[in-house]
Amino acid sequence: MERFDVELRKVTKRFGEVTAVRDVTLQIRSGEFFSLLGPSGCGKTTTLRMIAGFEIPTSGQILIGGQVQGHLPPHKRPVNTVFQHYALFPHMTVYQNVAFGLEMQKVDKAEIAARVGQALELVHLTGMENRKPKQLSGGQQQRVALARALVNRPKVLLLDEPLGALDLKLRKNMQIELKNLQAEVGITFIYVTHDQEEALTMSDRIAVMNRGRVLQVGSPEVIYEQPENRFVADFIGETNFVTGVLQRAGLPVEIEVAGQLVQAGWLAEGVRTGETAVLSIRPEKIHLLPGSANGEAHQFGTAVSGQVERTIYLGTDTRYLIRLDAETRLVVRMQNTQVGHSHFAIGDTVWACWNPAHARVLSAEE
Amino acid sequence: MTAVTKPTTTILPESRASRQERIKTQLATLGLTGYGILAYLFLYLPIIILVIFSFNDSRSTAQWAGFSTAWYVEMMQDNQIIISLWNSLFVAIVSTAISTVLGTLAAMAMERYRFRGRLVMDAILYLPIIIPDIAMAIMLLLFFNISGIGFNTWRIELAGLRLSVPYSVIIGHVAFNISFVAVVVRARLAHMDRTLEEAASDLYANAWHTFWRVTLPMLMPGIIGGALLAFTLSLDDFVITFFTAGPGFNTLPVRVFGMIKKGVTPKINAVSSLMLAGSLALVLISIFLRRGDDRGGIEIV
Amino acid sequence: MQAIIRRSPAIRAWILLAPAVAWLFIFFLAPLVIVLIYSFLERGTYGGVVWQPTLENYRRVFDALYFNTFTRSVYIAVATTVICLILGFPMAYFIATRPQKIRNSLLLALMIPFWTNFLIRTYAWLTLLRTNTGLINVTLLSLGIIDEPLPLFGNDFAIILGLVYGWLPDMVLPVYAALERLDRSLLEAAQDLYAGRWQVFRRVIWPLSLPGVVAGSMLVFIPSLGAFVTPAILGGGKSLMIGNIISNQFLAAHDWPFGSALSMLMMVFMLVATLIYFRAVNREGGAGL
Repeated sequence: MERFDVELRKVTKRFGEVTAVRDVTLQIRSGEFFSLLGPSGCGKTTTLRMIAGFEIPTSGQILIGGQVQGHLPPHKRPVNTVFQHYALFPHMTVYQNVAFGLEMQKVDKAEIAARVGQALELVHLTGMENRKPKQLSGGQQQRVALARALVNRPKVLLLDEPLGALDLKLRKNMQIELKNLQAEVGITFIYVTHDQEEALTMSDRIAVMNRGRVLQVGSPEVIYEQPENRFVADFIGETNFVTGVLQRAGLPVEIEVAGQLVQAGWLAEGVRTGETAVLSIRPEKIHLLPGSANGEAHQFGTAVSGQVERTIYLGTDTRYLIRLDAETRLVVRMQNTQVGHSHFAIGDTVWACWNPAHARVLSAEE
Repeated sequence: MTAVTKPTTTILPESRASRQERIKTQLATLGLTGYGILAYLFLYLPIIILVIFSFNDSRSTAQWAGFSTAWYVEMMQDNQIIISLWNSLFVAIVSTAISTVLGTLAAMAMERYRFRGRLVMDAILYLPIIIPDIAMAIMLLLFFNISGIGFNTWRIELAGLRLSVPYSVIIGHVAFNISFVAVVVRARLAHMDRTLEEAASDLYANAWHTFWRVTLPMLMPGIIGGALLAFTLSLDDFVITFFTAGPGFNTLPVRVFGMIKKGVTPKINAVSSLMLAGSLALVLISIFLRRGDDRGGIEIV
Repeated sequence: MQAIIRRSPAIRAWILLAPAVAWLFIFFLAPLVIVLIYSFLERGTYGGVVWQPTLENYRRVFDALYFNTFTRSVYIAVATTVICLILGFPMAYFIATRPQKIRNSLLLALMIPFWTNFLIRTYAWLTLLRTNTGLINVTLLSLGIIDEPLPLFGNDFAIILGLVYGWLPDMVLPVYAALERLDRSLLEAAQDLYAGRWQVFRRVIWPLSLPGVVAGSMLVFIPSLGAFVTPAILGGGKSLMIGNIISNQFLAAHDWPFGSALSMLMMVFMLVATLIYFRAVNREGGAGL
């Protein structure tokens, strides 16, 4: 049987009238880099805070290392947290900050010194022991916060948007560093972020949350390529949503959009034939062919015809806005790699074609 | 997709440790709330009891003998009390007016200009706030005695009463109130957006116009706050008035002190309740004026 | 002339300052200097002074009678400050941890006593504490809980109680302000790093609220040391503090030089205490902000 470091079982958290987290069940594997991804207010931080013990679930249960946590306070849980704004103690030096957790656990002085040294080395801050947090840059403060948590060798490390306060370039560097660090120490990371790109690059698995619910859990590839509902498809990456009427529920799924029948490779549960549904397809999965290339277009599997309404040149690729009918548009993204590859001008009639495996029909509701 | 095993959702029983922690947390919360309630009772109970016994139908301030407003009637008929009430109001109004003008001007100088001697002025402005009132009182007493100024009285007719107010009392009240007004107005100035003044001068307003049309209106909450504080402090002051008044002049607190020295009766409770009501009214006014302006009271402290 | 005024900010500043400064020089600093000078002069026969420099007034402070009052006043002021801190800190913490709406009401409820007359608040305790006719003793006696009235009045206990009652809000407000500024996530970080309740308090809350504690302690200590009204009313004429001795020199004994010397010593003592206190706090490294 698989070992889980952290388990949430039907966890709900209400603050007065507001339900912040609704019936969340999650299983986080040992040594995994697990992200909670969602817009602000989706309940991801509350979920993390419940694991840490800062909040107690209204109902449901949290297990860490197989132990039910219940009302155990944070200082009796085998997890440590890296806070959003680091929460470094302003009246203590870097050394005192990092040593704090060990002191509280009554580790003896010599061992504290050794472990703090190691931890600071791990985050490349050797020599900064006697500085106060205020004398450090944002990136350095971030590393102190990491060292302060890791020095305790927790089972699980909880990170609450730890890179949110850093500028873009530093953030990119720290993403890589964090990922390497995790591989090095082998500790389970639970990482809260609203940045989908960050989640995609760093995580082993992602749970996408919205309005207190977990909408989908899976590897970055699964989340991106096989979104199961409109919110996930929309929140991660860019997607075309085209409303239509479902014509066939079996494979290949068939849906009528803008008066044309197209095919898709997956159908969300609960959508029935004759009902309104949404076709979801990523812009880079669509290929454009000239309106004259009739036969070629249908070799792709499925195709719709339309007019080029607008083109935007983006260097590595070009974005086309294709008008299917008065209300319906498709965004298409074509790479500019192939030499002599046809470019289209505004007003051109084109075929937009794709492999049905890349298109998904989702419920019209969110 | 491959079949995914459905995650377990069985709820396990609460552990012993968790139950202990839950009870501990509940006790701590209960303890803190209980303490908070007790602390506020400690602050308010004596005042509430004081007010209750002002309505007592007996001379006692400890044994309840029924409801009566007799002490209030007696208070209203006591000419000494009425005169000291008007004395208090007169001193407070005059000293507030003077100290508000002087304090506001000083605040603007201190907050808007950098000049030599500013730090020394800062210290001199703060000193009257820090120094205990007894020290300030005897300093003034000595000063007025030696210089011979101040014990002359200002004779006026107010509400059909002849008041004669020693200048010394007003001078003393202004001396401590300037600093309080300056502190409050400075706090307001420090948080005022200077760009508005710059915008005004950019829009062809000269310094004078800028002051009247922009600075002063924006500063008004601070000035009013300072004036209210000065008014309250002046009304409440006992020590400095007591020492600088010379014989025969009473403000309400001085009168109350004299009454207490002679003996405790519910009449004092009645006067006290009246003064409490006055203070409460002033607090409410200041809160009302401060609405939407979140800085204030605490800064004074 | 006008041009000069317009151009020089310093001159403009001094024009604005002039009225207030003049007032304070004449009616505050001059009196202060007079007290200082008088403290070194000999007393005249019928009040007044003889212009003869002497240190006698300062020596007399060390006469047992006055020195005991002096040390007792310090003891009372220190006790008041410590008790205010012990009572006020949890109170400030209680307020700071309430939801915003309740917090505002609680602060208002704290401000009201601050704005009400000190004399009246002291008088309220007089009606409660008096030996034979005070509410507490009367009630306890009539309920048969005690046979003899408790010694609640006319002693140090009554004075300290009155002072604590009078100055408690002055301790709570600055401590509250410090606690409110405290970043909640620091407390969570400490908990997360295995600190229990006591350790969170000792290692994080206390050091970070020290500036408020210092301010509050000064706001309580200084007026307590210089107390006049409280011992006059609750001391029952027996239990006196320096403030009363000073007042006696001016109102009864007509010994102005000695009264001046006592006031100077009191002020110097306050200054020194303040400096030592700030030093000590800084050395502890506490705030360090």
